[in-house]
Amino acid sequence: MTTETGIKSSLKEFITRKEVPVIVIVLALLTYLFASRGVPIILTIFIDFAVFAIITMSLNLETGYAGVPQFGRVAAVIAGAFAVGAIPGRILAWFMDLPYGLEYASDAVNFRIVPEINALLASSWLLSIGFLLFSLIIAAISGALIGWIISRPAIRLKEAYLGISLLAFGDFLMWVGHNWSGMVGGSVPIYVPDPFRIFAVDRFTVIVLVIFVAAFMVFIYMNRLARSPFGRSMRMIRDNDISAAAAGIDVVKVRTQSLVIGSAVAAIAGGLYVIYTGTCTAFGFQKLTWTFWPWAFMMLGGIGSTLGVLLGVFLLTILRTMIVIFRHQWFGFLLNIGIDPLWLEFTLLGAVIIGVILFMPHGLVPEKVEPMLPKSRVNKIIESRRLAKGE
Amino acid sequence: MKNILVTENVTKSFEGLVAVNNASITVKENTFTMLIGPNGSGKTTLVNCCTGILRPTSGRVLFNEKDITGWKPHKIYEVGFVRSFQIPLPFIGLTVLDNVLGAMRNPGESPLKAPSRKAWVGQDEENMEKAMDILAKVGLEKSWHLPSSSLGAAQLKLLEVAKGLSSGAKLIALDEPIGGVDPASAHEILSHVANLKKEGLTFLVIEHRIDIAAPFADYVYAMDVGNIISEGPPRQVLTDPKVIEVYLGKGVEACSE
Repeated sequence: MTTETGIKSSLKEFITRKEVPVIVIVLALLTYLFASRGVPIILTIFIDFAVFAIITMSLNLETGYAGVPQFGRVAAVIAGAFAVGAIPGRILAWFMDLPYGLEYASDAVNFRIVPEINALLASSWLLSIGFLLFSLIIAAISGALIGWIISRPAIRLKEAYLGISLLAFGDFLMWVGHNWSGMVGGSVPIYVPDPFRIFAVDRFTVIVLVIFVAAFMVFIYMNRLARSPFGRSMRMIRDNDISAAAAGIDVVKVRTQSLVIGSAVAAIAGGLYVIYTGTCTAFGFQKLTWTFWPWAFMMLGGIGSTLGVLLGVFLLTILRTMIVIFRHQWFGFLLNIGIDPLWLEFTLLGAVIIGVILFMPHGLVPEKVEPMLPKSRVNKIIESRRLAKGE
Repeated sequence: MKNILVTENVTKSFEGLVAVNNASITVKENTFTMLIGPNGSGKTTLVNCCTGILRPTSGRVLFNEKDITGWKPHKIYEVGFVRSFQIPLPFIGLTVLDNVLGAMRNPGESPLKAPSRKAWVGQDEENMEKAMDILAKVGLEKSWHLPSSSLGAAQLKLLEVAKGLSSGAKLIALDEPIGGVDPASAHEILSHVANLKKEGLTFLVIEHRIDIAAPFADYVYAMDVGNIISEGPPRQVLTDPKVIEVYLGKGVEACSE
């Protein structure tokens, strides 16, 4: 084979990859973003999309591929959010000789310390970038830790029982954070130092970009994992764990790995989210938003299909964010007949889940059954075997 | 000939119900050893105890003179002993090819190496060549790309055999490989198995349909209510009055268990 055809085939392989349509969509969205700079609604939708894309892809890894009924997604998100809310700010406060102990989180002190930290961050690029990276690493580590802890019952339990225990575990951290004011302020939100302060007026746009880049990297990572021998092992366990064990797969190990990876990724999303909002509060992480909405996104898009999951997040985030922002303006008339438009979000969630189950249980983009090896390589092997037989 | 699998007084009881009672069987290398007996006689439970799906209440299981009693299924797989299931359990979200590849090892199964294709593609290509050879042996070569959920009953049984073969196992336990399959396909499945035996593999086969399977067997164990009631070459066991009584004489009682 000459080098020319090699380049040609690798180019062809590149274009037919799933990453390409996603890149095109992302670029189109970003162009639109910059064209409409400064419109907060659009920024909100974009950030919601990227954050939930990361979370839903992590959920899809655990539920769609490894078959763990992850009804406690919120636990890992909280782990990341609390880690970023509690740890990096304290470290900087310690360096700056500011109070960094339990009093860091008290509402009388926190609102005075954090602006000082922000002023320091805004003065140095290196410090800002370092702070952001450190925050994300801390988030990922604490997420992985939580994932490992919640994977312990996953060894013994199955299906509904596992789902219920994960559901119960999901809220556990929220209540710890709510009642232990020394960590992230308990019922009073604490401020999170802002590494994007250095961008001044462009802050929001840059955050959107960063979260988008993170989401895109997660997308590539998940795609790679899904179409690898590791992805194959996960699907084997999902389809039949006894049969997978008989085929030499260490079921407990693979389940644990998938939960640790998924939780670490979801925790990064949680960390990014509190950096974006600039505050962290335990009650901000309800299972409706951080467990059940990702489930609805995943179900609409197609369980076990990364591309489908992105599509589901995209469609429903627009709808959901619009409802959350405009419910009182658009649906204020409901108040006159005694219905609080606050419930519209819940109604939408329920309607989506029921609709998907009834009319398209496999989602918009159903999971494809195809070999894990890249298609070109599979075809090459099949072709050479055919030739060998013909001779 | 060497003994590849030996069970010494294996007993398995479920809350007082003794499913397998002091079963001692020996599977010699490169044989087609058959385990027969009516429903509920404990054949599958015995195999489950040997392959780690269940832990025997007492007794020992030796594989190649190594004590594997109570090992986890994936550990037993590693020493070269695999099994198929009575009801085929294909991985329905995978192609036929990946079903077979799943039983072969690859460095890409570690999540650290999985994201980099370079780390596992070479091994997977090698495995695929092997898997295609195995699929050709069991006659599934043409269906490699199909989702395993689209296969028929006989093909699913063959896929189970292929999964067993792909591991490079020395001993394969087949649980009713021809159960629920028409006689022609059943004969085909067993012919494939017989060919594989010629290549040096050992088979422990649980089967109900003695008429079709007996001509392939080298040695037969007959079980009833958890006990080994007869053993020997097929002709001897099938004419054993105790076996005939279990299958015919007391058939109504046996079925009602």
